[in-house]
Amino acid sequence: MVERGLPARLWVIVAAYNEAAAIARVVTDLKRDRYQVVVIDDGSTDGTAQIASAAGATVIKHPLNLGQGAALQTGIDYALSQAAEAVVTFDADGQHRASDINCLLEGLDRERAEFVLGSRFLGHSPNLPPLRRLLLRAATLFTHLTTGLVLTDTHNGLRAMTRRGAQAIRLRQNRMAHASEILGQIAASGLRYVEVPVTIEYTAYSLAKGQRMGDSVMILFDLFARRLYR
Amino acid sequence: MIAQFVFSIVLASVFLYAWTEYRRSPVVALLASVAATAGLYFVWFPSHSTRLAEFVGVGRGVDLILYTWVCISLIVLLNLHLKLRNQLELITVLARTIALANVGSERGGDRPAETSRPQETDGHRSRRRRGRSA
Repeated sequence: MVERGLPARLWVIVAAYNEAAAIARVVTDLKRDRYQVVVIDDGSTDGTAQIASAAGATVIKHPLNLGQGAALQTGIDYALSQAAEAVVTFDADGQHRASDINCLLEGLDRERAEFVLGSRFLGHSPNLPPLRRLLLRAATLFTHLTTGLVLTDTHNGLRAMTRRGAQAIRLRQNRMAHASEILGQIAASGLRYVEVPVTIEYTAYSLAKGQRMGDSVMILFDLFARRLYR
Repeated sequence: MIAQFVFSIVLASVFLYAWTEYRRSPVVALLASVAATAGLYFVWFPSHSTRLAEFVGVGRGVDLILYTWVCISLIVLLNLHLKLRNQLELITVLARTIALANVGSERGGDRPAETSRPQETDGHRSRRRRGRSA
């Protein structure tokens, strides 16, 4: 077997919408570890783009707010155009650890996988509210029933994929349903995937920015509606 | 008889609409076709609607038609929603194209494509070494 090694050209994609309070620290942490960072500013009105740019990230500005799924696809398109060998998706609200990226990349290499998905349930998730834990468990079961993927965590924004993996992803769910859509596309691609433990640090800020119970209903509706047209 | 012809023409146009929608949304086209077929049937055999209404427990044929009409309205609403989603996807593609075309003017610290090799730092080298030995 050919040794693949860790990717030489790696881009970390950060989708951000009105994250002025957190984006500087997120980009600074990533830049400290010498990652190439592209922030997709999804129509923010609070100066997120300027702050991210000043912190050293490449910034792509959506002319209007489209949603996290749309922003991630823009980031993937950009990274592929820059000849990226691998991409990592990373949340802008500061709940991910830059140090976990190394675990994802080693997962890509060691397991010879095209996708490595972070799992807070294999790792740590201090301050995870019980209701959200229950919701995430239900989402895991839903994902297994609809895609056949065996996962412990489904709506985790910390993932890595090889160039081949990224080329298999074409997100059409602009908003939060993209997290389920991406898993469906991973399953459909037939490419190898693994989960690795990561830490999700819940803060008052990230909880306020995160999904709510009602969002899960909209996600289900979006996934259903998407199946009704081409 | 005049009303029957008028309604028949209207329902036939629903068929045409369903045909044109089939490529975009087969589910909506199928639902619209079923509704139009049922409508045509009851236009020409109105007494059957009363019998069917009694059978399903609605009561009067006119009530059954009313409920069916509500269902058709919901299908139309669903179709409008799907069309809006389609439009949003087009807007997304357009916005993405504009955003990617303007990356140069927004670029911050990272370098452009031709120089986007990873910064050869000790951190990077050590990560790759660990990867190869794994």
